Amino acid sequence: MKIKTRKSIHLFCLLVLIVFISACSSSSKSSGAADENTITVWTMTKGLDEFVTEFEEESGVSVEVQAIPWENAHDKLLTAVASGKGPDVLQIGTTWVAEFAEAGTFLDLSDYITHYDNLSADNFYESAVETTKFEKQTIGIPWYVDTRALFYRTDILGDLGYPNGPSTWEDMIEASRQLADRGDDQYAIDLPATDPQFPFVLAWQFGWNYEVGEGAANFDHANFEEAMKLHHLFYDEGLSQTGEGKEFFQAFEDGSKPMFISGPWDIKTIKDRAPDIERKWDVRLMPKAENNKSMMGGAHWTVFHNSDKVDQALDFINWMADPETQVKWYEANSELPANTVAWEDPILADDPMVSTFGEQLEATQPLPLIPEYERLGQELLNTLEQINRGGADIDKSLEAYRNEVSRILGE
Amino acid sequence: MEVNRFKAKITPYLFIGPAVILLLIFSFLPILVSLAISFTDMNLSGLANWSQINFIGFDNFITLFKDEVFLKSMRNTFFYVIIGVPAAVISSFVIALLLKFVSDWMSSAFRVVYYLPSVTNIVAIAVVWGFLYNQEYGLFNYLLSLFEINAIPWLEDPLIAKLSLILLTVWKSNGVSMLIFLAALQSIPKMYYEAADIDGANRWQKLCRITLPSMRFATFFVTVTTVIGWLQFFEEPFVMTEGGPLNGTNSMALFIYQEGFQYSEFGYGAAASFILFIIIILATVVQFILRKSDEN
Amino acid sequence: MELKNRFERSIVNTLLFMGGLLVSLPFVWMILSSFKNEREVLSIPPTLFPNEPTFEHYINLFQNLNFDIYLVNTFIIVFFSMVGLLLNTMAGYGFGKFQFRGKEIWFATVLLTMMIPGQVTMIPTYLILNEAGLTNSMAGIVLPGLIAAFNIFLIRQFMVTIPDDLIEAARLDGAGEFYIFFKLIIPLAKPILAVQIILTFIGAWNSFLWPLIIANDESLYTLSVGLALLQDQNVTNYGLQMAGSTFMVVPVLIIFIIFQKHIVEGFNVSGIK
Repeated sequence: MKIKTRKSIHLFCLLVLIVFISACSSSSKSSGAADENTITVWTMTKGLDEFVTEFEEESGVSVEVQAIPWENAHDKLLTAVASGKGPDVLQIGTTWVAEFAEAGTFLDLSDYITHYDNLSADNFYESAVETTKFEKQTIGIPWYVDTRALFYRTDILGDLGYPNGPSTWEDMIEASRQLADRGDDQYAIDLPATDPQFPFVLAWQFGWNYEVGEGAANFDHANFEEAMKLHHLFYDEGLSQTGEGKEFFQAFEDGSKPMFISGPWDIKTIKDRAPDIERKWDVRLMPKAENNKSMMGGAHWTVFHNSDKVDQALDFINWMADPETQVKWYEANSELPANTVAWEDPILADDPMVSTFGEQLEATQPLPLIPEYERLGQELLNTLEQINRGGADIDKSLEAYRNEVSRILGE
Repeated sequence: MEVNRFKAKITPYLFIGPAVILLLIFSFLPILVSLAISFTDMNLSGLANWSQINFIGFDNFITLFKDEVFLKSMRNTFFYVIIGVPAAVISSFVIALLLKFVSDWMSSAFRVVYYLPSVTNIVAIAVVWGFLYNQEYGLFNYLLSLFEINAIPWLEDPLIAKLSLILLTVWKSNGVSMLIFLAALQSIPKMYYEAADIDGANRWQKLCRITLPSMRFATFFVTVTTVIGWLQFFEEPFVMTEGGPLNGTNSMALFIYQEGFQYSEFGYGAAASFILFIIIILATVVQFILRKSDEN
Repeated sequence: MELKNRFERSIVNTLLFMGGLLVSLPFVWMILSSFKNEREVLSIPPTLFPNEPTFEHYINLFQNLNFDIYLVNTFIIVFFSMVGLLLNTMAGYGFGKFQFRGKEIWFATVLLTMMIPGQVTMIPTYLILNEAGLTNSMAGIVLPGLIAAFNIFLIRQFMVTIPDDLIEAARLDGAGEFYIFFKLIIPLAKPILAVQIILTFIGAWNSFLWPLIIANDESLYTLSVGLALLQDQNVTNYGLQMAGSTFMVVPVLIIFIIFQKHIVEGFNVSGIK
């Protein structure tokens, strides 16, 4: 009897508290999402909220945009998947597609695509479309794309006889050796040390490719090893700096690192933060080994699996995929259109640096769509760190990497 | 009379009830769920569709003890605790003690100053300390070069990087412990000291006989929480080194984060967190036992 | 414990001063950097004072932040965290000053929750809230953080030092238990509550992850979340971050300066007699 009273008192306290708190909070709950003609959109990109007003006026559908910081987007998506409470439309980065698609996060759009003008696969870069396909489903529509190219100082490389930058990795090594010989604290190039894609990009250029199904054996090919040895050479010979050093744009400005590999957003970074070297730098395609393929990154629009407003959601995506919208989005936020027609617009076509990225996008490779892909890249970076910094033996380390891959893939 | 007895009996529960119930729901229940998860292979697909979760017994735990990175992060964590805890406790105690010596307004002012690191944004800390520690352009190495001492690879060498992070963290975390010590120092009745003055005790005797014994609670509290804090060491390696170089600064909490949230291996991450949980419990229980024997 | 010797005093002062300088440098740098343009923030060697002071980051901050909504949400969270603090204080008092069956076990349970590594419980907690239908509500944001074992532990440690005679005397005078708690215990616990208020305020003021995860709606975001949204994916905008942090830290400092004064007030032992 006593125990019962005690318990009921506890329960009562809790109840009072919960009622109290929820009473205070109920007013702030959104009512919009329940509305027939309102779709919710989750995005990690800034500025979408203002951008969609035009669509809202045209279509009569109101769009509730929820912006999520990139750093925490993964956590947020995890909880949405766990509870099944997601938005109607969801932005997804290309590297996360496989992971979340396997968990059944997205609606299969295959049957819907033909009903819309702008959603056909022919409109987009082929490599971008490939990352929207998971196990014969089409789970997304490309929104914007992104790739890597080579930034270089025209003046410094020009003095070495490469006014257009090194076009092959052989030239790159030759030029880099000269650059590193300029003295202490002088390097040739900043390789993307924390980008888990980059080692794979390098391997693609040597003709390697990841075959889903082969698993760890993929990394046992000679051309893969060749690429990793090239990577090692840059650190071994001091052509690239092992530690952190200066911020890259400072090193680029003062010439101590006259080259780096990065994405289109850094055009603006260099323009803004290193205005003194205006006209003394340019962007060029990746150096070539067997080919000069770069990665295909960017983001897609997807529809959450249990959305009950699929039509409105697809209307919205259709609008976002329109070449005209895509150009406007580029103008507003400098993100490159996934729709190839948009690239014919003078705003993009007449900008030589952006066009270079456009050209590089033609030579891209889609990421293999396996959920473990990002993890494999991260482990490869760790392995390369052990080789480049820890002085580990390259063959043994790659052997260990293959074992690790087997474990991750659960072979 | 019967009513009063009943009232007296339930009073304590009225006080602790709300807090305990909330803790049970939002801390204890989740940890039980996590424990269950640690025996499964739950990953992202399992999270979306519970039928895809398989019970795999102790597999996660067995794999963990073969995982070089995990073992390394465990060793690093012990290193952090062994060096970091005494450094943090002693330095905050000394600051609190020094603050007692100076005039009131100076004490107030310096309290604010010494508390500043605790409220400084972690990104600001990472940028400033990143500069201080930069091997080539950093302030520390510049100062050393004035004395013709060779540059130290503050964050580039696994062992030195650990020490650098400890220094940074002690600097950052002193504020809260200092406040607790100060509060405890203030609650020592003044008449103890007055009595000691009458007995002609010198300052050292007063410190050893009055101050330190009166601070036992506070010291115990600060030590226990500092040990727990260092065992859960996460933020500083996360922003400064991401566990590198060569996993030299990786901690167990960071490892759990990487497995659980970056790679969505919830089962594996939960298993690792349980090992950490057990280590923390053991460390705390040991401290409670030591304190008991100290009291008797 | 006073220093009578002038020489000693100046040594202590110098020590504190030097230490203070070292300790406050990043903070000072943070504030000054919020007035620097992007180029200057990361220039090497760094500058302390901005060469060309600019307010662009602050302007950017206020233009792009849904300031009013975020501020209101943050204050709601702060308010409930103070309710939580009251519950923590009650629990600390209960554990410190009462004898009851199962006390050791319950206290051990409380301590146990303090040892849980933070990230582990995130997803289970979310699922529990989801089952309770509390996602996307203020209750969901506030409830999990209401009680902190750390605080209960700290308060208990303090409560233990309050003499039993004092409470007994009040009981003999016929005071009710809650009357004793509010009129006698809370005033006595001022130093430790001042510490607690500071810590609780900071925690609530900076709350970030739960509001972000629980809210499916930007109308529930807090200031910290709003600030994080201003960040670019690829380019870190340091000046803006410094401006944001500076802006966030001002209320914290005000609260700190107000409440730290109360830490000084200790037991007045003669009064207790």
